[in-house]
Amino acid sequence: MRIARSSLIALAVCALSASLAGAQAAKDYGKPLTLKVTTPISSILKDPKAFEGKRVQVEGLIVEVCEERGCWIKIASDKPFESIRFKVEDGVITFPLDARGKKALAEGVVSVKLLTREQAVAQAKEMAKERGTLKSFDETKITGPVTDIQIMGDGARVK
Amino acid sequence: MPADHSAPHVRWRRWSIALHRDIGYLAVGLTLAYAISGLAVNHRGDWNPNYRISKEFVRVAPVTGAATPGVVSDVVAQLKLDGAPKSSFQPDAQTLQLFYKGKVVHVDLPTGKVMIERTVPRRVLYEMNQLHLNGPKQAWTYVADAFAIALILLSITGLFVLKGRLGITGRGGWLTAAGVLIPTVAWFLYLR
Repeated sequence: MRIARSSLIALAVCALSASLAGAQAAKDYGKPLTLKVTTPISSILKDPKAFEGKRVQVEGLIVEVCEERGCWIKIASDKPFESIRFKVEDGVITFPLDARGKKALAEGVVSVKLLTREQAVAQAKEMAKERGTLKSFDETKITGPVTDIQIMGDGARVK
Repeated sequence: MPADHSAPHVRWRRWSIALHRDIGYLAVGLTLAYAISGLAVNHRGDWNPNYRISKEFVRVAPVTGAATPGVVSDVVAQLKLDGAPKSSFQPDAQTLQLFYKGKVVHVDLPTGKVMIERTVPRRVLYEMNQLHLNGPKQAWTYVADAFAIALILLSITGLFVLKGRLGITGRGGWLTAAGVLIPTVAWFLYLR
């Protein structure tokens, strides 16, 4: 009985160690990447309607991570001053804050929404909360309707 | 081992108590980890349960014109940072971000205002949160499933540890009902 119990504990410890070791090595998040060709982020931002609802793979530098839940990242475009939000389902994928400054290869479906000013303010407020910058949030900077372009992601590889 | 000639209801109670005891011992570590993480994550609107984030504000000489590689090395030199950043980005023409391990430097180029944001994972709590929220996935999913089943067994066997006045047919029954009432009332109040 004592031996059986010890074996059980040893087995649990092994399973735990194996799981944690896997976690440290893991750089893939969510579902495996399936597309072979990457789409330049600048092309999506230039003509979002052409990509709406389409599955794309994008590549770029991670410049921001959701501080609160790790549920989105911002990926820099191939052109200056541009980036796109890569949103994942809460709890399914959690990006660590130290992903900032690393390269991401990410896949998902392009979403394009026309937001009224009120909707845009609400979304920006939520993002500021997730960034931890709600106190300095200034809604007067949003002056009118906004076209919100993001990738609803389900898989990413962070290098 | 001598044969157990006791009545069936005595036998299952003995098994139930033994299960409750042994599962209880096995589950102590994870229960504490999940409970502490639960408290931490519950209040994530008020604090970051995973990282200690500190912000330091300093200044460099204002930069006019584009942020060339020369500007990056100049900022690095002025701030006496540890070597070149692993990467950099400009969200707009006025802002330069330098990425280091555990640190992001935000420079407002026209004014020279700099915010150095340091991010350090909260030791132990970060790991607890990762396990609690099934960050590792893979084999941990099965460990977490086993723990959930263990908790179900613990709660059911716990009902039958005591007999009589203090057991499920007495005081224990009332306490069990109160415990069931809490999520039921919450469901009526917040989720319907």
